[in-house]
Amino acid sequence: MSTHDPQLLKGVLSLLLLQLLSERESYGYEVVQRLHEIGLVDVFEGTVYPALTRLEREGRVTARLATSNAGPARKYYRPTEAGYDALSSGTASWRALAAMVDSVLHRPIPTEPIKGS
Amino acid sequence: MDNSVSLIDRMRIERVVWALDQRLYDLPRRSRIATRREVRQNLLTAAHDVGTTEALRHLGNSRTLAAEYRSAEFGDQARPSWMAAAVFLLTGQLVLTSLLSEAAQAFGDGITAASPHATGTFTWHGIPYLQDAVTYTVANGERTSAGGAWTPLAWIIWIAATVAIGRLWRVVPIRRRSQPATATN
Repeated sequence: MSTHDPQLLKGVLSLLLLQLLSERESYGYEVVQRLHEIGLVDVFEGTVYPALTRLEREGRVTARLATSNAGPARKYYRPTEAGYDALSSGTASWRALAAMVDSVLHRPIPTEPIKGS
Repeated sequence: MDNSVSLIDRMRIERVVWALDQRLYDLPRRSRIATRREVRQNLLTAAHDVGTTEALRHLGNSRTLAAEYRSAEFGDQARPSWMAAAVFLLTGQLVLTSLLSEAAQAFGDGITAASPHATGTFTWHGIPYLQDAVTYTVANGERTSAGGAWTPLAWIIWIAATVAIGRLWRVVPIRRRSQPATATN
């Protein structure tokens, strides 16, 4: 069973990635594992890898190659200055939107809508 | 969990990596190589972790993944495919030229087959709308030919098909979007 609506997540995935990478630089597969750890078990590699590429193209993350014992060099990502700015403004926007949506969705659900005049 | 990755597993991973690469032909070469390396490395790590079958399943369909990578590289707007256009431009010309040449050649062979020592001038009117007339001058079975070029319609069809296959009309909105807006008062 899906634990979240993929469409809802799509808008905030880059924010989540920036936040996780600001806490600890990681390579693609590791980022997916970290998303699973926080409960987003339906987010797969096929979604995260292109999202990281997009953030890199936008200049919000930078990458470095580091040698690995388990095969080829790993590409570790971390936020740039622009990434930190985007994370701050994105987080503020998300909080404002979430508070607004939450205030509406917290109202009790009526059994029937009021008739329009 | 540490799963061993066999040679067969590595080959399965390589197959997916190269299938993805084939779908990324519009990306700049450097990006393609970087993507290939990164996906391969991540798949190997995932295969050690959860097994190759699971790792490949989580990566998903290579067509969808390639579309995501292209969108990440170029943005979400529809793009032309220069590679498809170039491939058709070359192969289309080769195939049509070969077809028209073979048709004209068959007419010439027919002349000498019917009369091995024929002498005279013979005209074949070509494939209607696509090819100009071909004139064979035959002297004692030895023949030379002139004509048989593409008609203007054949050129138009070839160019129009190239534009259609490469979806080249998409260049126009991309150019328009990329031009800086001019302020007007």
